[in-house]
Amino acid sequence: MANAALASTTFLSEEFLAQRNIDLADETVFEVFASMLGLEVAVAPPPVPEIGEGDERTAIVGYSGAMRGCCEVQMNHSAAAAVATAMLGGVPTDDSDSLNDAVGEIANMIAGGWKDRIPSLSSHCNISPPTVITGRAYKVHMSRPSVKIIRCYHFGGNHLFLTLRREDVTGG
Amino acid sequence: MKGTILVVDDSAMMRKIVLRTLKMAEVEFDQVLEAGDGVEALTLLRAHTVNLIMCDINMPNMSGLELLLQIKEEKLAAGVPIVMVTTEGSEPQVRQAILAGAKGYIRKPFTLDHIKNNVKPLLVA
Repeated sequence: MANAALASTTFLSEEFLAQRNIDLADETVFEVFASMLGLEVAVAPPPVPEIGEGDERTAIVGYSGAMRGCCEVQMNHSAAAAVATAMLGGVPTDDSDSLNDAVGEIANMIAGGWKDRIPSLSSHCNISPPTVITGRAYKVHMSRPSVKIIRCYHFGGNHLFLTLRREDVTGG
Repeated sequence: MKGTILVVDDSAMMRKIVLRTLKMAEVEFDQVLEAGDGVEALTLLRAHTVNLIMCDINMPNMSGLELLLQIKEEKLAAGVPIVMVTTEGSEPQVRQAILAGAKGYIRKPFTLDHIKNNVKPLLVA
């Protein structure tokens, strides 16, 4: 009985890792870039590059409710500047606050757009405001074991890394 | 258009995008007010008369839904169209916003057509 209730209100690991959800992540990224930035973006072919060169930014948006986890969007300074410039309609920008804001907002739209595409999450999962951190020396600690989807996209010579993490409510 | 618009979003980038898209949709105002959360928006609304409010939902300090309720409570911006602009596209959020007084709803990411179809009609009504 308890297991049946759990299954009806949560988003299980197998469902999370389904190819359809990966496709929906891609679709969400394409939509955000086309609508809000006017930039073409594509899934980066393997081998996926190292993010490298310093001053990376990672925006994290938390999920709660039917799915506990987070959406992480990571890009380097050059990619963040390209996104911020596109957001401002082509006005070049390089200041740290604008870049953090831009990466945070992209993460916010991807996190929200992805879960809204999944009927079992749309009305049953909330997102937190984005938190932006800089640098590479960080580790995301979840309170339970987690599964994740990692995608890499490229746009105009830049890369964006997307990680969707989901806590395993049945394991650990 | 004569008048004042208030854009409420904790992202300064998003405020700029909203204003730029409105301009592309030929929705322009004499005066633009910007607020980073519901608390700032209330302060502006107590001091200014506005003609359109574009408001995010998911904000620190005071959310867009809380702001809508406070606007109602203080009888601020009576008759002014309020359009929610947010990543939260779920039905309960929309319902809550409409019940609290919002006249329209746009999900981020949005397009020029979304603005034309959902905001412009509110201004001529």
